[in-house]
Amino acid sequence: MSELNVESRELEGVVLLYPKGFVNAHTVRLFEGEIQKALDRSQYQIVVNCAGLTYIASAGLGALMGVIEEVRHNGGDIRLADLNETVRNIFEILGFNHLYRIFPSEVEAILSFRGEGEGGGPGA
Amino acid sequence: MTARRARPAVVLKVPSRTEFLAVVRDVTRAMAEVAGFNRGAAEEIALAVDEAATNVIEHAYRRAADRTVELRYEDRGEDLKVDVVDNGATVDPKAMPQVDLARYATERRKGGLGVHLMGKIMDSVTFHRTARRNVCCLVRHKPEGAAGGDGAEGADETR
Repeated sequence: MSELNVESRELEGVVLLYPKGFVNAHTVRLFEGEIQKALDRSQYQIVVNCAGLTYIASAGLGALMGVIEEVRHNGGDIRLADLNETVRNIFEILGFNHLYRIFPSEVEAILSFRGEGEGGGPGA
Repeated sequence: MTARRARPAVVLKVPSRTEFLAVVRDVTRAMAEVAGFNRGAAEEIALAVDEAATNVIEHAYRRAADRTVELRYEDRGEDLKVDVVDNGATVDPKAMPQVDLARYATERRKGGLGVHLMGKIMDSVTFHRTARRNVCCLVRHKPEGAAGGDGAEGADETR
């Protein structure tokens, strides 16, 4: 059973993360590690494409919350795209939909960073 | 209203290892669907029970991998009750700080969301200790019309 793998790539200065599987207490370190790699490179514009994310427990939500202050303090953000119904519902139960910008598609999430600093600046 | 039929309890015991949380989730979701909850509600209940089992592994057992987490599912007709039982250290959930999402990020916290989530999803979350065992009791009522798995449409309510 594939529990979680996280691929990443960069587009127009935005780091794109693709978690595939589920994030809970068992897999959260991998998820955290991939976010941390971006921060270690001083890349603070991050889109988590949730198309392959089947489920996220509080450990995963905590991982997002644990770094968001640092990310925003550095002028960036973590934005989410393409959530399935289960994941979206979990976000809404906790009110995370008020704390994070959620987009229907990855493209919209990437474009939302345009004009917000070094990653995908004006005219990019 | 027709009487809702209670069913015998089902007991699941899993090792206190996080790789078994996926099993807990799958079984819980199936039990909730058998009890008459629709898929969305069953997913929520599975998440709440996953969180309770995670708390046992991380706090009561402090990640010791050689212990057992017991889950007892009871369809009581009007509701589904899930007891999550351990014989580890007693953890007082009231001692955990309340989650204020507006302040949570600035406090750079990571924990505490699980209990908060359980409370949002379930109608009742209680903790007690009996015979040297800790019991976290989770209850979710079935909405009107849920037939307790007797063949009618599932409970169409998510939080």
